[in-house]
Amino acid sequence: MRAPVTDSPAIEAIDLVRTYRTHTGVIRRRPISVEAVRGISFQVRSGELFGLLGPNGAGKTTTIKMLITLLLPTAGTARVMGFDVVRDTTAVRQRIGYVFGGDRGLYDRVSGIDNLRYFAELYGVDPGEQARRIAALIELVGLEGRQKEKVEGYSRGMRQRLHIARGLLHDPEVLFLDEPSIGLDPVGARELRQTVKTLVDAGKTVLMTTHYMFEADALCDRIAVINGGRIVALGTGEDLKRDVANRTIVEIETFGVTPEAIDRVRADPEVIAVNTEEREQSEILLVQSAQGLQITQRLLGLLGDTRIGKVVAREPTLEDAYVHLIATSGEEASATRAASVA
Amino acid sequence: MNGARGSLRLVWTVWVFTMKAFMASEFFLLTAVLQPVIFASIAFFLFRIGGDAAGEHTLLYAALGTGMMGVWSTTLFGAGGAIAWQRWEGTLELLVAAPRRYDLVLAGQTLGASTFGFYSVIATLAWGMVLFGMPLRASFPVLLPVALLAAIIALGAMGMLIATSFVLYRHANALSNLLEYPVWIVTGLVVPLATLPAWIGPISWLLAPTWGMEAIRGATIGSAPPWLPIVLCMVLAVVYWLLARVVLVYVLNKARRDATLSLA
Repeated sequence: MRAPVTDSPAIEAIDLVRTYRTHTGVIRRRPISVEAVRGISFQVRSGELFGLLGPNGAGKTTTIKMLITLLLPTAGTARVMGFDVVRDTTAVRQRIGYVFGGDRGLYDRVSGIDNLRYFAELYGVDPGEQARRIAALIELVGLEGRQKEKVEGYSRGMRQRLHIARGLLHDPEVLFLDEPSIGLDPVGARELRQTVKTLVDAGKTVLMTTHYMFEADALCDRIAVINGGRIVALGTGEDLKRDVANRTIVEIETFGVTPEAIDRVRADPEVIAVNTEEREQSEILLVQSAQGLQITQRLLGLLGDTRIGKVVAREPTLEDAYVHLIATSGEEASATRAASVA
Repeated sequence: MNGARGSLRLVWTVWVFTMKAFMASEFFLLTAVLQPVIFASIAFFLFRIGGDAAGEHTLLYAALGTGMMGVWSTTLFGAGGAIAWQRWEGTLELLVAAPRRYDLVLAGQTLGASTFGFYSVIATLAWGMVLFGMPLRASFPVLLPVALLAAIIALGAMGMLIATSFVLYRHANALSNLLEYPVWIVTGLVVPLATLPAWIGPISWLLAPTWGMEAIRGATIGSAPPWLPIVLCMVLAVVYWLLARVVLVYVLNKARRDATLSLA
């Protein structure tokens, strides 16, 4: 039984901007500015699981780092549980937990339980409560029996589970998960999704970034797609899929397809978009069109001498919607840049 | 948990954790134990060649000096190296963004480094006794632990002040190398301060190892109780601590503005 999502916002971002200043060159240094986040606004309701999707470098991690008080916004404001992330840092930090994916963020040379004891103190967990809380979290993430081993001997999945236990030590109201399932095997990723579901059922607000569309589709109440530092779409998974709902995806398995052949398919007036996926020995063309299987014969003809394997037509998924959004927002951004240069 | 008790508990927890992490590191064990033993051996042989000068006090003088050299090296590398290591491990961001005060965390870490450094004093004394027949005695045995504690706290506080720059700049641990040898010399760990040029005196007075060494030597081979250097150790520790807190406010704000915490 899931705790209800309320209308009161747990996280609010209003016109958030973050610019990084760096330089190029060694002898003649030239300062450059990189706009990682360009005016992002969104709200996450209390008890909601909110997904932030976007390609690498889109601004997801920068947004999260501003919300967890690690980075100062260049402009705009953000509040977590009503507290300003710039002014009320301690109040925000007491109410949030965060988990970054990957191998970093743990003390490798000491045991898992020593890591948790250390962070329990840093997160202000009551001393009388620490042992019980740590034992409960070790059980929750399934590290029983391994907690006294040094972290350097942990698998990536175990490290990720320890990360989650660390992020939950002080029972935070809001949890930030930055690509939590990155590098996990399928079983580990499924267990992680189950853990996230359990947390949301218990009433936690979760903001999560991920590259895995099925993960976002299965877990998130609402999703914001971010590209080039801007939100290009925001809504439920169904809302996002609606843009591509009238389309059919034809998956064509090809062997040795040439770029010219792909360009010929792309140029067909009935084709809306073509994406490719590399497999071990083949390349899958994902052709989006409003016509579906009716144009399949024509598409195969455009591929010429290319050896063809399986051809399948299916309904669009969130991944198709995402690819469409990223492609169109990228084109718009290029057009805007071209216009501003002109 | 707030208040002085909560703060002390946090410093204690970080201190214990830092000691555990150092004990699991071969690099720090070598810095704290092996390096001072090598320096002590060189010093013992040099003093022996000196003939009459190599009395029993002289050997103890040399052993304590080389031991303190190890303490300073471990404090310096512990403060700088540990922050560089945490930056690389990705834990520095977690510490800075934790709800508890980061200055207390940093204090626990640097105190842990200076305490761990005292392995080198034990190592050089044991080395001197076993291989060079150095007698171990203390003129003021009751004051010796007080002097040791004062030296640990003062060196830890000085390490903390230096460590604030390591939080901000990822390459600041290069400063560790720069500060190691000059401080050994300027604070009288290698040769007595009286043999150095007079202008070095005022510089040495501002540095914790000078008074830490004075306090420990005073308690072991001194002729009067070393109260003055013990008090000066504590005064310097308070000054370093206050300075470090002020600098840290600026440093953490700048690190959040410049996004330098996660740069390894």
